[in-house]
Amino acid sequence: MGQSRLWRAVRRLADGALTVAITLLGLVALTFFIGRIVPIDPVLTIVGEKAPQAVYDRVFIELGLDKPLYEQFFVYLGEVIRGDLGTSFVTTRPVIVDIGRFFPATFELATLGIVLGIILGVPAGVVAAVNREKWPDHLIRVIGLIGYSVPIFWLSLMALLVFYARLEWVGGPGQLDISYQYSYTRVTGLVLVDTAMSGDFAVFANALSHIILPAILLGYYSMAYISRMTRSLMLEQLNAEYVLTARIKGLREAVVVTRHALRNAAIPLVTVIALSYGMLLEGSVLIETVFAWPGLGNYIASSLLSGDMEAVLGGTLVVGAIFVFLNVASDALYRVLDPRSR
Amino acid sequence: MKVKRLLPALMLGLALSTAPAALSPAFAETPADTLVVADVIDDVITLDPHEVSEIGGVLTTNQVYQTLVSYDVNDPTQIFGVLAESWEVAEDGVTFTFHMNPDAKFASGNPVTAEDAEYSIRRIVKMNKRSAFIITQFGFTPENVDEWVKATDENTLVVKIAEPYAPSFLLYCLSSYASAIVEKAAVEEHVEGDDFGNAWLKNGVPSVGSGPYIVSRWDPKEAIVLERNDNFWGEPAPLQRIIIRHVGESATQRLLLEQGDIDIANKLTPDDHDALASNDEIKKLEGLSATIYYMGLNVRNEALGNDKFREAMKYLVDYQGIVDTISRGTMEVHQTMIPRGFLGATDYNPYSYDLEKAKALIEESGLETPVDLGVVVWNSPPYTDFAQAAQATMAPAGVNLNLEVVDGSQWLSRYRNADLDIWMGLWGPDYPDPHSNAKAFSVNVEDAPDGSEGLADRFGWDAGDLSPRTMEAVRELDTQKRQEMYEEIQKEHTDTSPFLYMFQELRAVGVRSNVEGIVLGTTFADDRYWNVTK
Repeated sequence: MGQSRLWRAVRRLADGALTVAITLLGLVALTFFIGRIVPIDPVLTIVGEKAPQAVYDRVFIELGLDKPLYEQFFVYLGEVIRGDLGTSFVTTRPVIVDIGRFFPATFELATLGIVLGIILGVPAGVVAAVNREKWPDHLIRVIGLIGYSVPIFWLSLMALLVFYARLEWVGGPGQLDISYQYSYTRVTGLVLVDTAMSGDFAVFANALSHIILPAILLGYYSMAYISRMTRSLMLEQLNAEYVLTARIKGLREAVVVTRHALRNAAIPLVTVIALSYGMLLEGSVLIETVFAWPGLGNYIASSLLSGDMEAVLGGTLVVGAIFVFLNVASDALYRVLDPRSR
Repeated sequence: MKVKRLLPALMLGLALSTAPAALSPAFAETPADTLVVADVIDDVITLDPHEVSEIGGVLTTNQVYQTLVSYDVNDPTQIFGVLAESWEVAEDGVTFTFHMNPDAKFASGNPVTAEDAEYSIRRIVKMNKRSAFIITQFGFTPENVDEWVKATDENTLVVKIAEPYAPSFLLYCLSSYASAIVEKAAVEEHVEGDDFGNAWLKNGVPSVGSGPYIVSRWDPKEAIVLERNDNFWGEPAPLQRIIIRHVGESATQRLLLEQGDIDIANKLTPDDHDALASNDEIKKLEGLSATIYYMGLNVRNEALGNDKFREAMKYLVDYQGIVDTISRGTMEVHQTMIPRGFLGATDYNPYSYDLEKAKALIEESGLETPVDLGVVVWNSPPYTDFAQAAQATMAPAGVNLNLEVVDGSQWLSRYRNADLDIWMGLWGPDYPDPHSNAKAFSVNVEDAPDGSEGLADRFGWDAGDLSPRTMEAVRELDTQKRQEMYEEIQKEHTDTSPFLYMFQELRAVGVRSNVEGIVLGTTFADDRYWNVTK
């Protein structure tokens, strides 16, 4: 009996690992071939448009572009399996080093954003569902709709204009004021953590004043999605028979909503939140551009435009791995939240 | 007041319990000893001076490295010595002797010798990176350069070139960013295989130059930090530090400049300049750029191969209208290949919008209208604006432009492969000699001494006798005569070539009003920051 349970666990793990491997392989293959088909010429980024043909041809061969596509792919795959993501020709550094540099900026922004999104989005969704078709519901839905439909690019610029340029409540684009930029030691790459560790409160406060606005915007954006999903998941639960039973039993409405309905809605909600966190971790290119934020989204986007495929592939792999991880984590959380799936 | 309070609440739809006001320290201006420049530098791939060519990279190496000679950006005819104190040209016109300045020192404190200069030029030729053509066009090859470029003693460098040219031509090329002098001993310590230390030097942090600044760090796609060179042999720079920050968005640069978080905004759109016009804390520095905007017409296309039709097209762009409404102060009408400010420039601008004349010319051409043509356009202003304006004014004459709006890399590659009908493009000279443009636009491959293809070949055009005449002009030793030759060549070129010249760019940079001493070059990369005070 015990042995068969162990066997099942091992099998489940092996299945999971296989799925992950196939997912990542598919991702690498897809990104690689799209990257090669897209009419962007990496050689031009390196040699510029004025270099003579001979220089162009030499770099073309140096990059291995003269080999057949499948051969290039297998060479790359071999490197990835050995743990080598290659070197970005734009930054001249190994891609893994670049990601170590750009990902933390996105990570701390996305994490703050999703925390704000959850804190605001879940209660808003619950309130909207409970007050269905009444004014709080309408208000929350309108706010959500705005967050969903207003271009984030425009919203970011407006927010900067109001809170940075006019009211001067927050710091401007970039992670720190320029006078603090090089005044702390980079340890984790997370500016909030590193500046806090430096022990200089002024630097930490400055970092906080810079991250707060983009984090709120990201939080608003994910709140819009989370509150809508919470609302519909809650409505589903509130119309279920067990809720009716609970009400007939005479339980207080607050208990019905939070202890019964919300707890059941929480299970699918975990997936919703995990996916929106994943989306934020990819890095929002537009927010990162407006806020001059040195994050992963900007890194991948600008690498793509230079045809720097090693960097794009490396970045995509990391994002893919994050999604896989978040999926696994939310599956695990399912088991905790839902006794039936244990 | 009410609106001001309501707006944030509405926009974000949440009342923050944490008052953000508590977070914000008093807003410091940029540090007094630091110049903070916002620019677009995410395309910088190297800081090796013999490899750089993006604007951000060249802007950096120009503050860090020096050349044998240089020129006055306000009057390019004034050439002066920098690392070379003096020079003479032998009777044969191909032997140049440079005498090094004995005071010159590298950032390491070591003197700049003729041997360093010799090594640097050989390194350019042997590495043959993308900007090496500026030097190799004089006939240097990896095989002959050891023979042709020689330090005869510590103080004397002798350079031989393949054939005689106007002497200023070589001097201008030696003043280019591509001809920086590096410290031989320092580079040689880091050579790996046959890379000439490129892998080491491209990261920029080790500075082996003699300029007023040294690179102290480069965070690719984020920032480049320069520190004052304490061993500088000239007048030390007033400011301790220059930080070039990557800020991709013009509106963001504007906000940072308004708040005093940066000192210089290099990439502002006309709209943002307009918005800053009433702000007394900001001034707009203006200068002349040598960049020329044109449409390249591929004569392999049947219609574009027709002389009359091409002439008609030149009457179908509303040049002045575009300058007045779209470009507002960033462009001026310019219809010849050599930019204003250069030797041989003329104010020959024969074309203006004339629909009737264009229709008559198309009639004469014998072509059936409508004619459909594809235009490859970079998906960024001003290219998209120019293309849309041209599309609107050409349509009434039966010339239909289909805009193929693509990203920058694809735009370049379509042009390089001549895989297009029309290219909406630009050209910036690599050195301030008229030959930089003249060679590109009117010399065919068979007349080019280094056998390189220029724009004429790229667009399938046989320049006829303009091609040998252009090469004659660069070999003319008499400056006055040379100037006249260029003037004549250009008129014919403008009338007959498949290049529909439109504008010369005007430079505009937004600067905090306390910042003084910036010297604007003819390209963004040419700007000189070492006399800046604030």
